[in-house]
Amino acid sequence: MSDTPAISVRGLTKAFGDFTAVDGINFDVPRGEVFGFLGPNGSGKTTTIRMLTGTLRPKSGSADVLGEDVVRHPDKVQRRIGYMSQKFSLFEDMTVDENLRFYAGVYDLPPEKFASQREYVLNMADLVGRENELTRNLSVGWRQRLALGAATIHEPELLFLDEPTSGVDPVARRQFWDLLYDLASRGVTLFVTTHYMDEAAHCNRLAFIYRGRIIAEGSPGEIRADHMEQRIFDITTSRVDPALQWLETAPGVDEAYLSGASLHAVVPADSPFSNARLRDRLAAAGFADAEVEEVDPTIEDVFVNLVSRQR
Amino acid sequence: MSPKRIRLLIWKEFTQLRRDPLLIRLLLLMPILQLIMFGYVVAVDVRNLSTAVVDLDHSATSRALESAFSGSGYFTITTHVASEDDLRPLLDRGTVKIALVIPEGTQDRLTKGETAPIGIIVDGSDSQISAVGSGYASQIVAQFNTQRRDALGIQVAAPSVDARVRVMFNPTLDPINTMIPGLIAAIMMISLMVIMSQAVVKERESGTLEQMFVTPIKATEYLIGKLTPYASLATAQMLLVAAGGLFWFNVPFNGSIWVVLVGLFLFMFTCLGLGLLISLVSRTRHQAQQAVMFIMIPTMVLSGFIFPIQSMPAIIQPLTNLIPLTFALQVLRGAFVKGSDFAALGPQMLALVGFAVVIFGAAIVATRRRISE
Repeated sequence: MSDTPAISVRGLTKAFGDFTAVDGINFDVPRGEVFGFLGPNGSGKTTTIRMLTGTLRPKSGSADVLGEDVVRHPDKVQRRIGYMSQKFSLFEDMTVDENLRFYAGVYDLPPEKFASQREYVLNMADLVGRENELTRNLSVGWRQRLALGAATIHEPELLFLDEPTSGVDPVARRQFWDLLYDLASRGVTLFVTTHYMDEAAHCNRLAFIYRGRIIAEGSPGEIRADHMEQRIFDITTSRVDPALQWLETAPGVDEAYLSGASLHAVVPADSPFSNARLRDRLAAAGFADAEVEEVDPTIEDVFVNLVSRQR
Repeated sequence: MSPKRIRLLIWKEFTQLRRDPLLIRLLLLMPILQLIMFGYVVAVDVRNLSTAVVDLDHSATSRALESAFSGSGYFTITTHVASEDDLRPLLDRGTVKIALVIPEGTQDRLTKGETAPIGIIVDGSDSQISAVGSGYASQIVAQFNTQRRDALGIQVAAPSVDARVRVMFNPTLDPINTMIPGLIAAIMMISLMVIMSQAVVKERESGTLEQMFVTPIKATEYLIGKLTPYASLATAQMLLVAAGGLFWFNVPFNGSIWVVLVGLFLFMFTCLGLGLLISLVSRTRHQAQQAVMFIMIPTMVLSGFIFPIQSMPAIIQPLTNLIPLTFALQVLRGAFVKGSDFAALGPQMLALVGFAVVIFGAAIVATRRRISE
């Protein structure tokens, strides 16, 4: 059993009316991996998750989850998977304890199992002593961790996380990823969607979905190597907006965009630009304080590049 | 289907309900307020109408007629004015609601055996007062005529039948006896639709609906878990209204309790179905509220709950058959007031079965489909 992939998808398609949300995608998720499913909003991430969790019927194609055909037998799969959405899906007018009791009951956990899982979740979410608080009174980081605990109270083999970190501060995001690593180290396969590109580096494998199609797949290193022939320069200047405008039309620059507080300029692999030459050009254009440094492409660079090639 | 999971869902629903003290208070307060409103305000009888008298005849007959009015209890004669022209300002200001005009020569005409016209002027701006007031006025005149004929020993064949019909007309009791049974159905409809639609939309907004369908919970289990608590709350409300009606307002109950229960049970499914359907078309709780209003207004107006269907224009009347509450009202009023049995209420019961099957069925199918979409 366990040598079959956790998820195996072939030609999966879903249309809503004339709009094809997911268009014949194929991918495999090996067991025990952290699989990152990346894409901008509206690209088909959530639709894919809903088909994989058995709540949405695909138009065509097959989806095997944990060795079972989830399209035909969602009930065989549902007990073995967990799901957490960006809304955290807790009953806000119920207490921490009541939420856990509800989800434990849904999966029919025996009392002694529930007792140990409850203790584990309360410790993990740092909620010991706050069992009787209404979840609506918890702040976001705690709610998120409790939602993770509720979604994994039945110890699923595979956990789907649909943008689990959206709207969460960076510190809580980091803590949350530590918890995900902890789950992964215990053999749980994780299927995570996100549009935070820095989170992609946390994954073993990635798939980029764009307009319903997978446009790149592989480990972060493979993706960087396979899809990034161009070179990237990181530019910092005090006048970001005018510099961006200048770069967008500058000859020899394929593309320019904001990356954090600095600018990234993409140039062809055979470009004559070096740090010094690009800096001189910027200085000549009136950006005397510009600092230029060639960098390795990040996942974000790859993604921006892939998307711009699709257009 | 797992009874254990259904119990869990019901427990969850009651736990959440308990956390919403405002909702519970509203659910208990609403029937009480409505009972008071419809019991005391709407159904109140027209009594002691302030009346002006224009006596131009100044005869024994005119004085007898006047005292017949003042003695009836429905009219209180507050002013006497000299001419009809002086009435207008009084009616305009609302100081009098009705005026009795006895023209000069009334007694002479009667003595000569002629018909003597008298005038009754009613403030038509208040339809309730004008309808009931003019009804009472003509009744008093009819009674006055009978007494006068009796006193004179004139034999007239017809009027006795007329007079007896009027005795049976019991305006003081009639409105409330039909209002309270109607209120039972109306309150059930309002509260079931409001809370049902809110309950599902709320869960959709918070994402818990989506979450639950990734778990082993089946759509049927979810629906039973959701409907049971609200159906039992609605039943409690219904009992409260029925008890208030029977014991406080002394509404007589002449029919079979089974007729009432079967009718309400069928109607309950229709209401649950409507609530579910609203929750399917609404994305937010606010939209759900508006949708409930959208359905409630025509329902209240066209069902015969407040305005009698018979008094509606002929084109409108067939539309009332599209309103489930229409039939629920007929069943409840029939059972309460007239003691109608299943045989007599057959068509209405069938209509309620039809609504329950179609609306509730559609809601179940649509909910299941929506959940899996």
